[in-house]
Amino acid sequence: MQVRVRDKDPLAQFLGWFSIGLGSAQITAPRLLCTAIGADADGRAPTLMRFMGLREITQGTGILVRTRPTTWLWSRVAGDVLDLSLLALVAVKNRRARTAFAIANVLAVTAPDVYESRFLSRKKGPVRSGMLIRKAVTIQRPGTEVEQAWLGASELRRKVDESGASVRFAAAPGDRGTELIVEFEYDPPAGDLGAAVEKVTGKDLATQLSDDLRRFKQQIETGEVLRSEGTPDGHLLADHLKQRAAQPLEEAVR
Amino acid sequence: MKATCWMGRNNVEVTTVPDPTILNDRDAIVRITSTAICGSDLHLVDGYVPAMKRGDVMGHEFMGEVVEKGRGVGNLEVGDRVVVPFPIACGSCWSCQHQLFSLCENSNPNARLAEKMFGFATAGIFGYSHLTGGFAGGQAEYARVPFADVGPIKIENGMPDESVLFLSDILPTGYMGAEFCELGGGEVVAVWGAGPVGQFAAASARLLGAERVILIDRFEYRLRIASEHLDVETLNYEEVDSVPEALKELTGGRGPDACIDAVGMEAHYHGPGFAYDRTKQALRQETDRPFALREAIMSCRNGGIVSVIGVYGGLIDKFPMGAVVNRGLTIKSGQCHVQRYMRPLLDRILNGEIDPTFIVTHKIPLSEAERGYDLFKNKKDDCLKVVLKP
Repeated sequence: MQVRVRDKDPLAQFLGWFSIGLGSAQITAPRLLCTAIGADADGRAPTLMRFMGLREITQGTGILVRTRPTTWLWSRVAGDVLDLSLLALVAVKNRRARTAFAIANVLAVTAPDVYESRFLSRKKGPVRSGMLIRKAVTIQRPGTEVEQAWLGASELRRKVDESGASVRFAAAPGDRGTELIVEFEYDPPAGDLGAAVEKVTGKDLATQLSDDLRRFKQQIETGEVLRSEGTPDGHLLADHLKQRAAQPLEEAVR
Repeated sequence: MKATCWMGRNNVEVTTVPDPTILNDRDAIVRITSTAICGSDLHLVDGYVPAMKRGDVMGHEFMGEVVEKGRGVGNLEVGDRVVVPFPIACGSCWSCQHQLFSLCENSNPNARLAEKMFGFATAGIFGYSHLTGGFAGGQAEYARVPFADVGPIKIENGMPDESVLFLSDILPTGYMGAEFCELGGGEVVAVWGAGPVGQFAAASARLLGAERVILIDRFEYRLRIASEHLDVETLNYEEVDSVPEALKELTGGRGPDACIDAVGMEAHYHGPGFAYDRTKQALRQETDRPFALREAIMSCRNGGIVSVIGVYGGLIDKFPMGAVVNRGLTIKSGQCHVQRYMRPLLDRILNGEIDPTFIVTHKIPLSEAERGYDLFKNKKDDCLKVVLKP
């Protein structure tokens, strides 16, 4: 679970990634995009397209890295105005339906840009960064037994300690055993961009912890971590994407 | 060993795969004596269940003889004859202790995938995609059964395979569908789908006290099998303009007290709406065609119960929530908690209250599984249920 204690919201995040996506396309395939908006695919237009792509990527990075990216969001609005002026020039010259479609698309994204910029401009008080992340699991056993098992799980405990996370045990309501709750502050370098990199490379503690807690629960409740033919090492998110076919394993294991 | 493998959409092949081995202490290896093709296997073959992988061994209805067991299995011996329930359940988590075995918290090694799809994870299931764990299935010569000390039920007398095989899935599933209807005696129950599960749901509804049961399908042979073996009425939906209208008039203008959807995500019907749902499904704008479900909701009497045991996989469209809310309907659903029903239903079979053998129309060797799928999927040769013999 993420308890949101920062300023950036999903809309700003979306617009940041949108900038990066559009910018990458503009830089890698400028001619294609020129054709798509009804401009000439030769002459100076593709070069200009590349510059606009560079601008988009810079803005996207700014939005994703900064904690309260108000200025960067306003720069997107300015970018939209620039895009619209350029498209107007194209429209005057060529009069193609594709240009009108491109203008409609820019207008469609200008609306959330303005909305989000105004939203962030109205925010007051100190800028808050970082997130409080909580991962919890309920184990169908009395508290003493769960705490005992936690003491035995030295590797998991070291990982939690090193990240400065706090661990709590609480009796689950309605006689449902024990809740094990791990909480930590997550403030990755380079904001959302850093978080995405950590997630992709599997270094993201929140994801690791939810795997670990699930395995910890299984070990206590059933005495084993269940393996399947498709996922022979048991539950690990990193393995989910490289599943084998669900047919018996070639090698005898254990 | 030989096993029936999913090789892509509309492509099932019997091929040679490695023999299963014990992977966890609480595993057992079962030599399969009978296994069946389930309607939900067709959803896999038709490509509507995500996260299948080429080479997956299919099948979740099977029984056989224990030939090997891990050191954590105390209650079974090598040589025991067992029926294996399709959900894999640990027996010790909160869900298992509350008899919600198909929601076991510890039996799905791909729980994260399932959480993304469904919000929370469900139990592992044999041969039923990687969303439910990526376990090899039972349409094979041997199967590895995890948590073998919890699920499998011993068959200790000489009952023939066909009498007890369906304890693995469809008999308990049909029974649970009828149990959802909270029958106290005197009710009218309508059942959509006269496939094996629908037949068992209709039989169970009668057993649990329904005064009238109306079974709905479009295949005459299925309706004929039902009227020959069960004390139920039948309705061929292709012979009426509107099923809800017909049911309304058949029930004195009230509507059935409970409606059971035993059809699920690949409903057929006639009318322009079919093209709508089929197109949306083909374009992946919805994963399931919920026509039977819509009809069940629209047909049910005010304040009645809609019991959904047909399988749905993802998202549906044009769901009549207004009818549910304003007419006070209750929807109950779930993958069957098979372990909960095996013992009582085995007793009913032994007492002669239910004889599940009437649904078997085809018994063929495992090596001909491809033909079995073709017969069952395309309703050829009046096929209602295929049992495979390894």
